[in-house]
This record gives sequence, structure tokens and C-alpha cells, in this order.
Amino acid sequence: MDHKDRFANFSAQNPQKWEDPSVLDYSSRIEPPLQGNPGAQIKFPDPLNELLQASKLQDWDPAAMLNNLSFLEQKIHHLRGLVHSIVGRRDRVSGQAQPYGLVAQQQQLVTADLTSIIVQLISTAGGLLPYVKHTPSTQSATSPSLGQFQPQNGGGGSGGSGVSELQNSVDVSTNEEHESKDEEDGEELGENLFPGTYEILQLEKEEILAPHTHFCTICGKGFKRDANLRMHMRGHGDEYKTPAALAKPNKESSSEPALIKRYSCPFTGCKRNKDHKKFQPLKTILCVKNHYKRTHCDKRYTCSRCNTKKFSVIADLKTHEKHCGKDKWLCSCGTTFSRKDKLFGHIALFQGHTPAIPLDDTKGSTGICDPGDSSEAVNKVGNMDMFNFSSSVDVKGSIDDPAGCFSPLNFETCNFGGFHEIPRQPFDDSESSLAFLLSGSCSYTDKSGED
Amino acid sequence: MPPFQSNTNILSLTEDLLVRIYEILVSESDRKSFRLACREFLRIDSLTRKHLRILRIEFLPVLLHKYPRLQSLDLSACPRIEDGVVSLLLSQVGPASNSLRFGNWTRGLKSLVLSRATGLRFSGLEMLARACPCLESVDVSYCCGFGDREAAALSFAVGLRELNMDKCLGLTDVGLAKIAVGCLKLEKLSLKWCMEITDLGVDLLCKKCVDLKYLDVSYLKVTNESLHSIASLLKLEVLGLMACPLIDDVGLQFIERGCPLLKAIDVSRCQGLSSSGLMFVVRGHGNLLELNAGYCLSELSTALLHQIKNLKHLEVVRIDGARIPESSFQVISANCKSLVEIGVSKCVGVTNMGLMRLVSGCINLRVLNLTCCHSITDAAVSAIANSCRNLVCLKLESCNMITEKGLCQLGSFCLLLEEIDLTDCCGVNDKGLEYLSRCSELSCLKLGLCTNVSDKGLSYISSNCKKIHELDLYRCTGIGDDGLDALSSGCKELKKLNLSYCNEVSDRGLGYIGRLEELCDLEMRALNKITGVGLESVAAGCKRLADLDLKHCEKVDDLGFWALAYYSRNLRQINLSYCAISDMALCLVMGNLTRLQEAKLVHLCNVTVEGFELALRACCVRIKKVKLLATLRFMLSAEILETLHARGCIIRWD
Repeated sequence: MDHKDRFANFSAQNPQKWEDPSVLDYSSRIEPPLQGNPGAQIKFPDPLNELLQASKLQDWDPAAMLNNLSFLEQKIHHLRGLVHSIVGRRDRVSGQAQPYGLVAQQQQLVTADLTSIIVQLISTAGGLLPYVKHTPSTQSATSPSLGQFQPQNGGGGSGGSGVSELQNSVDVSTNEEHESKDEEDGEELGENLFPGTYEILQLEKEEILAPHTHFCTICGKGFKRDANLRMHMRGHGDEYKTPAALAKPNKESSSEPALIKRYSCPFTGCKRNKDHKKFQPLKTILCVKNHYKRTHCDKRYTCSRCNTKKFSVIADLKTHEKHCGKDKWLCSCGTTFSRKDKLFGHIALFQGHTPAIPLDDTKGSTGICDPGDSSEAVNKVGNMDMFNFSSSVDVKGSIDDPAGCFSPLNFETCNFGGFHEIPRQPFDDSESSLAFLLSGSCSYTDKSGED
Repeated sequence: MPPFQSNTNILSLTEDLLVRIYEILVSESDRKSFRLACREFLRIDSLTRKHLRILRIEFLPVLLHKYPRLQSLDLSACPRIEDGVVSLLLSQVGPASNSLRFGNWTRGLKSLVLSRATGLRFSGLEMLARACPCLESVDVSYCCGFGDREAAALSFAVGLRELNMDKCLGLTDVGLAKIAVGCLKLEKLSLKWCMEITDLGVDLLCKKCVDLKYLDVSYLKVTNESLHSIASLLKLEVLGLMACPLIDDVGLQFIERGCPLLKAIDVSRCQGLSSSGLMFVVRGHGNLLELNAGYCLSELSTALLHQIKNLKHLEVVRIDGARIPESSFQVISANCKSLVEIGVSKCVGVTNMGLMRLVSGCINLRVLNLTCCHSITDAAVSAIANSCRNLVCLKLESCNMITEKGLCQLGSFCLLLEEIDLTDCCGVNDKGLEYLSRCSELSCLKLGLCTNVSDKGLSYISSNCKKIHELDLYRCTGIGDDGLDALSSGCKELKKLNLSYCNEVSDRGLGYIGRLEELCDLEMRALNKITGVGLESVAAGCKRLADLDLKHCEKVDDLGFWALAYYSRNLRQINLSYCAISDMALCLVMGNLTRLQEAKLVHLCNVTVEGFELALRACCVRIKKVKLLATLRFMLSAEILETLHARGCIIRWD
């Protein structure tokens, strides 16, 4: 695979993920159209995510499509109104010099809205494309077809059109749960980078594990993202509120080809350490962080559902928790399945395999008492002193003990065990019960006492 | 029975000859006389008896001792079958018992009927399934609480060929998979109303149980996918798809190409189907014997008709509720010569002319359902009578234009007639019944709402139709005590009688009813002349009474109910709604009648909450279904409600 493709792919990840300023620089170099509006960048993945999730969850749904389209229509309408009002205002104040900030802000707003409309349009259309629908995870990472959307010139400042960049970021965002692993796994596929053609950076352990990488020079507060720091800075004075201060610090390096950066793990002896004989470099800071935590740190995060699986990267835990407990389809051979049809396919394939019935499940869903319950019920009936509510005779009995088990039968004046002879005349039977009811005495207790 | 007393040699016959004699006796009462004759005959009876249907669990251990060759055991009419009882049966008289005197009753058992055994659970079922190595047939229908665990228990019966799990509401695909994998020899399976079953389960079943000959998935929410799977069953002969709302014509297309041995299919009340779907089935299966498409077609289309006419062997066809062009009858008549049964109830377009054409060709018709075909007259009935001499069952409900002329023809030619439904045919009168009474084989006669029938007409029937088993006189207001007098002296075999709203009937009439010893089902709603005396004579006389409906018999006093509690020991179902029964009498009825399984007890104005509480406590160990006023729900103790629930009793709150 052409490494440029993947390269572009990574660059398309949400800039939020990147904490190292150098990486930020790098990304900014190939995302020039987005530079101007960090706000828009942060804004659009959310509705997009929803849209894509929807298209991922179910097959193409014309109703959803209609929904999307009317949403888009609304949005366009809204935008037109906005532009209209800008034009109107400009006419009114023509002649006067408009404040630079206002113009920029308007521009930003319109651009952001436009891009988000474009993205939504693409994703709506994308719902129809089989490759987007069926194999989003593999496609986004490896498919050359997606490469069509990507800038062919990975280093070119003007290479990525906003749309294609966004499309990529969309794809990646749908696969968030895989992304960390993909990055490392992607590394395994082997880059054909010759030693020396790239710059090796090695962060120290403390740096890797530091929760924040951006610190406020005034108050010292730490942030994970530079963007957040810049937002924070606004509170420290008006000079930090200018669009220039709020924009990403733009390094002038986009013109000259930068040396490719690769990273080394600080852990000596690790294959990812630069001193290792078969050194395999890590591609990004995020790779370093995840690699270091996964390989050289304690697994501090335990799944709260199964209480067995442990993770050192919290994203891994979250990925696991999404699936944990869903493998409830169990075969008699011990194999579990997350889907019922997979289990049934398995059972159809192998002779003698049957689905296992979970113990607690049955009780809840079908209301079937377990043996303990039913014996309890039997006892309860046995215990029930039929015609004397105030006194309760405690009859002990269990399912193993026939006498106890049949205590309700005793009530009916028939001794189960003693039926070797011809049963009593029904007359005797009913006479006694008549007598008992008339007198109100509990003659049944005597009867059950007989055996 | 001929008198054996004179022949001293009868006992010198060898055992096998005696067994043969015994086997010739078909009726249960004859067998009873046989085994009561002498000890030797009793021994023959116990050696030979293969089937047992018991009504009281108390007798079961003794009976299992007595009949070592038992092959079939029916416990469906017997309350209180529970896991504990099963374990006791198995340990006392079963394989675990040490007694060598008696055979192991489970060894030869092939068939087990546990329908409505709501007290049974998986552990008891598993014990049974494991203990009976030869078990081939199990019926657990209407055990609503049954689910996957029970299915898993049943799957231990590896030799199972027939299984009925209708209305086992908890059964899911998992349970079905258990059975499909465990019972690979399964040939007959009924899954009606097992609402949790989906295509996945059916698919697995069809992959595992390839010997299936009979499959009923009626009322299930299965789709065409299931039909695709079912089509792969090479031995399937009977397929029940009644009221499967999600299947359509595409699904039947699979059936067209599959199931090469299919003989009968029931797609009645499948709303998604049309004529073209049925055409697929008919086209693919030229040897079809039975086609039930009631209430799923709006019209019998010509195209479908031309397919049906290719079914040369078709015996049964039901197209109830469809519009039928008159010409169709001609086509059917000319082509389906082997038709035995045709059902066109509630069809639009059934005319005299149509029926005349039909019967001119289909002379072998035995069953004809013309319910609610309002436009037919005596002419059609005459034609039927003239052509179909073998007619056994004729349903003419709501055919208002039928008069004595039509019945005269029936009485003259259809001498094999066993069942006729004349409900709501106001043209039927005493004269008509006189003609009809010439059908001496008549066993089921329905005259509901025939207000022109009087005691005289009933006396004709009574004196000639000795085999009547079932008689419906619902709202026959012309019937009085004298008619019942005649009935009770003539129709001694009467088992089922409906006297509801026959206002003229009084205690004297019920006195005559008491002479009907075979009567087991009596409905007498709203007889406002009868009192406790009448009920007492019924209870004392009809020993076999199992089902009694006394709703709105408001003059019956406690005396009658006391007698009921005293005599009617076989009563299984009772409706006492709107009766003037007291607390004490209710407790007595509910406590004393040890076979009672279902009771409807709403609007009992003289019964207090305590009375209900006591009555329910008295019967809670065996009652399976009870209907109560909803207001009682919060007045009865939680204890009794829990107990009833734990015992599998269903309470219907009205």
C-alpha cells in the first residue's frame, strides 16, 4: 500500500487527538482549508457521526434519507438567510470600513456551515455506496477507493480539498473504537522506510504518561489540547481574543518538505525502541502513548461488567465494554456468540451441539420457577392452614420428602401412599367434609395427621 | 354381552384367546363389564390394557401397578400433576422401586399426554423423559408456562416421533433447537401459538429433523424465510400455516418447488396471501389431498380454479369467506371427482344453481359446510340429498330458507347423516324434525334459535335417533319439560346438552335430565324456573357430569349447590356467575369437588370477600383457571393469589 494514502488518512483524524504541538503543525500543513475555522472543525463530526452511525446500523433507509435531505434543505435555507442578512448589512454600512474581526467571523460562519452541508450531502449519498455501508472499518484504513478522496500529494499544501479531508475524518470518526489498534497494526504491515530517511524522536516515560501537554503560561493550568488552551487564554485578556491568537499557530514550514518523523519507545529492549536490532518505529505520538501503556504499564482499568478483563488504555476498555456481556448466545460446547443467528449457524453445522439455556435468563423471561421455587410453593400450600387464618402450622417438607410434598393432597383427604385398597366411598368422603364445614372444625388436620 | 354363565368352558380358553376376545370389545363400558365378570377376566384386562386415561392422581400408583403393559398414559384430565408426583411415581412404582412384583411401568410407555399439566415443570418432565426409553409421543399442549427448560427436558426423549407443544408460550428458538438436536427422529411437531419462535428456530429444525412429516407453525410470526427452510423437508406431508400474518406469495413459491410429498396444506387466515400464492402451491403439488384456504382469499379467481381442477386426488377443500363465481362449481364438479369435504361457509355467491352443479359431479361428498350461505333453499338441500347419499355432516347454520321440505329429502336419502347444524334456521319445525328423525345414525343435532321447534318435534328425534350424543337447544323457547321427558327416555347416550334460555324448563324437566347417566356437559343458562330441587336431581342423576354452566340461574338456592357438592364428584368446569350461592355453599362446592379445574365466579351477590378467600383456599391445590371480578384483586389476600400463581392457576379478572 502506498504510504501516502495512509498518511493522508492519519492526517484526516480529528486534530483533537493530537496533543503534541509538532504533530499539530504537521497536520495543519495538509489541512489548509480548515485552518481558518477551528470552530467548524470541532462542530461537524457530531451530527455526522450520528448520520453515519445510522447508516451503519441499518441498511439504506429511504425514510432516513428523506429526513437527511429535508434537514439539508433547512440548513441551506438558513444559510441563505444568513448570507442575505450579511449582504444587507454590508449595503447599509457601505462606505464605512467594517471591522476586520466581524468580516472574518462572518466568513468563518458561512464557510463552516457550507462545509458541514457538503459533508452531510456526501455522507447522505455515501449511505448509498456499498463500500461505505458494509465495510467501513477496513475501507477507511486501507481501501484505495477512499484514496480517491484523499489528496494525491500528501505533502501538498493545496492538495486536500476540504471535502475530501472531511470525508476522511468522518470515516475515521466512525471507527474510533478500532483506530488505536489500527494504527499500531498498520505499523506491523511494514513501512518501507529506510533507516535515516526519517527522524527518530523518543519521548520520555513522564512525557508519555503526562495527562496534559499544554500548559498556560500565566496560570499554569494544564490542557490536553492546544485548542482548549487557546480557548482558555481568552480569559486572560483581550489580546488573546483576536482571531489571530485564536487561530492555530501557523508554522511557515508548509513550503519546504519536512523530514518524516517516527517515534521510539523509551523502554529499553522493546522492539519499538530504537536500540533494538529489529527496530520498528512508531508512527505517531498517539501510537507511542498507546503502545507504552499497553505494553509497559499496569492494566489499571477493569471492566465493570465482567470484572475480569483489564486494560491500560481507557479507550480499549470502552471498546470492550461495548461488547462485554453481549456474547450471551452460548453453545453446549462452550463457544459464545454475540448474535443468535451465528449460534444457530454453528449448531446447524456441528452434530450434537445445542444452545445452552442461561440459568437466570429463563426465570426472568418466561416466569418459570426453578425447583427451589416450586418446592417453596408446595410447602407454602402445605403450610397454609386452610380454615384458620390466624394460626399457622409449620409443616416442614421438601421435594425429596414425599410426605411433605404431598401435604396438599392430605388436605384432600386422600392418602397417596395408602391407596392399596379400594378407595373410600364418595359418600363417606363428602359426608365428612360436609360435617367439617358445618361444624367449622378443621377435621382435615386430623386426617393429614393420620399418616 | 352374551350370557357366559351357561358355558362353563369359557374359562378353559387359553389366555391368548381370552385376550383376543377382550380386544374385540371396543366400548369402554363393555370392557368394564368384562373385567368385572371374574378374577380371571380381570387379570386378562390388566395384562392387555395398553391405554390409560385417569381422572384422579390418587389412583395412579395402584393403576400403574395393575397395568404393566401400559403403552399410553393420558394425564390431561387429571389435576395436580407436579414434579413431586412424578418423582414419587418413579420411585414408588417406577424404575427406582425395589418391588419386583410389579413391572416397571415406564419401560413400555410410548405415549404420554400431559396437555394442560400446568403444575409440571422441567425437572418432572426430565425425570419422565429419562425414565421412559421407548417414549415416542408426547403432548404438552396448552402448558402455557412451558419454555426452553421444559423443551430441553423433553429433548432427553431421543426416540420421540411426535410432539405437540401448542401454546407453550415460553418456548423460544433455543428450546426448539434443543428438541431439534435431541430428537432427530421427530416426524410430527406442532408449534401453534409458540409466539417466540422465529425463522432461525424453524430453519434449524428443518436442517436437523429431516424426517418431519407433519409440521404446524400456525399463528407464528415466521416469514418467507421459514417457508424456504420448510421447503427443504423431503418427507413433509402436512403443513399447517394458519394465520401466519407475515408470509406471502413469495414464500409459497418456495413450497411449490419443495416438499415433494406434500399432501395437505392449511393457509387459512393468512392475510398476506393471494390467489397467485395458492396457485404456486397447487401447481407444484398435483397430488395434494387437502387444501384449506379459508378466509385468506377475497375471491376464487378463475386462474386459481384452473389450477385446482388439476388436483385429481383432492379430497378436502375449504375456501370459506371467499367470493365464488357460480361457474366455479361446475369446474370443481367436473374435475375434482374425489372430493369428500367442501367448506364454503360465509362465501358470497353460493347459490342453489351452483350447489346443484357441484353435487352433480361430487357424489362422494361426506362433509359439506354451508354455514351462512343465506341464499340457498330447499332446492339445494334436495339436490344434495339426492346426489350425496354418503353425506355424514351437513352444516346449514343461518340458512333461513330451509324448511321441512329440505329436511324431508335429507331424511329420505342421507341415511348415514351423523351431524347436522340447523342453528338459526327458523324454517325448521316439528314436521321437519319428524322427517329428519329418519336419519337414525344422527349423533349431533344443533337446533339453537329454532323457535318453531316444540316438545313434539323433540319427541320424534328422541324416539328415533337413539345415537344422539350432542343436542343443542339454545334458545329453543318452544321446548318444555315434556320434551325433556321424551329426550331422557329416548336418547340415553346423550353426552352434551345445551338448554340455555329454554325458559319453559322447570325442576320437573331437570328431573328427567337426571335420568341421562352419560351426560357430561350441561349448559343451562338463565333457566329462571329452576330451583335447588332441579339442580339436585341433575347432580344426583348425572354422575358423569364434568362441565356445568349455571350462569344466571338465579333461583337455584343453596340446597341445590350442596347437592352439587355432594354428588357431582366428576365435575371439572363450572360456571356459577350471577347465581345466588352463599359463602358456605361456594366453599363447599369448591372444596368438595376434587376434580374441579375451572370455575367462573363473577357477580355472586351473596358471596363475601371472605367467602371467596375460603373457597379459593379450599381449591387452590388443583384449580387451573378461575374467573373473578376485578375488584376482588385487591381484596383477596396476597398469600392466596401467590399460591394460585405458583400452582400455575390462571386468574381471569373480569
